[in-house]
Amino acid sequence: MNVLVEAGRLAAEGRPFALATVVGVERPASARRGDHAIVTPEGALHGWVGGACTESTVVREGLLALADGEARVVRVEGGCASEGTIELLVEPRLPAPLLAVVGDSPAARTLMELARTLGWRVAGELQEKADAVVIASMGQGDEEALQAALAGGAGYVGLVASSKRGAAVLAELRARGLDEEALARIRCPAGLDLGPSSQEEIAVAILAELVAWRHTRPSSPEQLVEPAVAIDPVCGMTVTIADAAETAVHEGVTYYFCGPGCRSRFEQDAERYLEAAR
Amino acid sequence: MRDILETLARWKASGTKVATATVVSTERSAPRDPGAMLAVSESGDVAGSVTGGCVEPAVFEEAREVLAGGGARLRTYGIADEEAFEVGLPCGGTVHIFVDELDPATIDPLAKAIEEERPVARVVPVSGPNAGAERLVFADDKVSDEIGRTAQELLAAGETSLVQVGDDEVFVDSFAPRPNMYVFGAVDHAAAVAEIGRFLGYRVTVCDARAKFVTPERFPEADELVVEWPDRFLERSPVDERTAICVLTHDHKFDIPALKAALATNAGYIGAMGSRRTTEQRVELLRAEGVSDDELTRIHAPIGLRIGARTPHEVAVSVAAQLIEVLRAPKESRAQAVTS
Repeated sequence: MNVLVEAGRLAAEGRPFALATVVGVERPASARRGDHAIVTPEGALHGWVGGACTESTVVREGLLALADGEARVVRVEGGCASEGTIELLVEPRLPAPLLAVVGDSPAARTLMELARTLGWRVAGELQEKADAVVIASMGQGDEEALQAALAGGAGYVGLVASSKRGAAVLAELRARGLDEEALARIRCPAGLDLGPSSQEEIAVAILAELVAWRHTRPSSPEQLVEPAVAIDPVCGMTVTIADAAETAVHEGVTYYFCGPGCRSRFEQDAERYLEAAR
Repeated sequence: MRDILETLARWKASGTKVATATVVSTERSAPRDPGAMLAVSESGDVAGSVTGGCVEPAVFEEAREVLAGGGARLRTYGIADEEAFEVGLPCGGTVHIFVDELDPATIDPLAKAIEEERPVARVVPVSGPNAGAERLVFADDKVSDEIGRTAQELLAAGETSLVQVGDDEVFVDSFAPRPNMYVFGAVDHAAAVAEIGRFLGYRVTVCDARAKFVTPERFPEADELVVEWPDRFLERSPVDERTAICVLTHDHKFDIPALKAALATNAGYIGAMGSRRTTEQRVELLRAEGVSDDELTRIHAPIGLRIGARTPHEVAVSVAAQLIEVLRAPKESRAQAVTS
C-alpha cells in the first residue's frame, strides 16, 4: 500500500496521524531518503523508514507530535548494530477545525464560503464534534441553538447579532437557568469589532476572530491527540497507557513500561535509557 | 437594488408595473443597509428584501397600495426593543422605507452603467412635490442643480445616503465601480489576498516586475495581472480614498519605491508585509529617502491585524480585517459631514 495514498485517505476522513519522512541517511542503512511512514494515534506504524531498528523512536516521536502539534526532526543513530544513522522529519497531520454555522442567513452563507477558503471543514448545522459554532439564525431560535452549542464541546461559540439583541438573548438564557460560566463562553456579537456592516465584512470579522482563537489557545491547533500508547524506554515495546501497570515518574514526566523488569532497570539508570532512546 | 436588477429588467421587458420599497435610512442597527430594495410586481411576485423578513408583510401591503394608484409614501418601522425581542428581530433599530412606483426608463441605463463600471447614482426625492420622480446622475454629467451636485459628491465618495436638499429629502443610491486593490509581489500570499479582496468587492490587480511569477494559473482570482515595477504602475493607475495597496514583496528593492509611490497618493489603505526586523529596516530606508514620520504612520506594517495568522489564507483574513477597520472609520465620518 502506498503510504501517501493512505495519508490522503486519513486526511479526507478527518482523522489525525503523523507523517514521518526520511530526510537524511548515513550508510549503512536500510531506509532511503524520501521514504515515508504513518503513525496513527493508536501507535501503529505503516510504511518503511528503517523497520524495527527505528520503529520505536518513530512511533514515540509521532505520538509526541500528535500531542503537541509541532513538527520535529529526529536523528536515529545506530538503531541496530548493522545500521548507520537516519534523520526523519515527523509532522503531525491534524484534521482542519470543524466550523458549524447555524442559520440560513446571508451572513451564515458568506461565513461558510469564506471558511472553506481557509481549508476549514464546514457544516451547515450544529455538529457534536464541531470545534467552533457560529449561530447566525437571526432571531429564529437563537436561544435553543446556543444552548445546544454550549452543551457540546465547541471551544468557540459565537452569536451573530447586534449588541442590544445579543444582550437580550443572554438575559433570556440566564432566565432559563444557564450559569454565568456558560454565558461567558458565548462571544456576542461574534467577530472582532471592526465596525463592519455588510455580510462579507461580518464574515471577515468572525473569521479573523476564529483564526485568533485557534492560534492563541495554550497548545496550538485544534484536536491535539492525547496519546493512547507510549513506548517503553527500556525495551522499545508499545505500551497501552490506560492499562499500564508499571509506570515511573522521572523529572516530572511519566514513563510507561511493559513490566516490572523494565521499570526497575529504568529506575536504576534513567538517564542512560533516555539518552539511548533519543 | 443591485441584487434584484436582473429581475427588474425581466419584469420591465414583460411590461408589468412594479412598486419598489427602498431602505433610505436606518437608525442604530438594521439588518440591511440603505439601498436595500424589495420589489412587487402587479401579479404579486416579490423580489429582494428590506430587512430580514420582519417588516416585509407590511411593506408588501404598502407596495400593493402604490400599484393600485395610492401614491408614493415614506414609512418608518420603529422597532421597540422589547418588541424586537418578541418578534424575533436580530436588532432593535429603526428603518425608513420609501415606497413608490418604479420608473421603467431608468432600469436599462442603470444596468448598463453598472456593467460597464461607470459611476452612476440613482436619485429619488422622497418628500415634497417631486417625491418619487427618480433620475440617474453620472459622475461626468454637467449638472446645474443642487440635487445633481450633491449626488455627484456622494457618488465620488461611494456613499448611499438620504440627504436634505433645500426643503426636501432626497435619497441618493450610489453605484460606484468596485474600489481598486493593488497587490504588489506575485507571492503565495498575494493569491490569497487577491481571493479575499475579490470577495470583499474589490477589483484586484496583481503587479510584479518578474514576469515568470505573474501567471493566471497562480492568480485565478485577480481581475488584472501586470508585469511592471510597482512604482511605475502606481504612477499611471487611478487611486482614490477607497483604494487599498498591499505591498507583499518583502524585498527592499521593490518595496521602497512602491511604498514611496503609494505615499504620494491618497490611497485609503497602505499595508506592507515583512517581519518586524524587515519592517524596522524598511522604516530606516524610507527615512533615508526623506519620508517623514507622519507619512510613515500611513503604512500598516507588518501588514494585517495581529491574529496569529500563519498560512497565506490566514494572513489574507488578517489583511481583510484590517482593511475593513481602516477604511470603515473615515467613511462613516465622511457621510456625516455630507448630511450635516
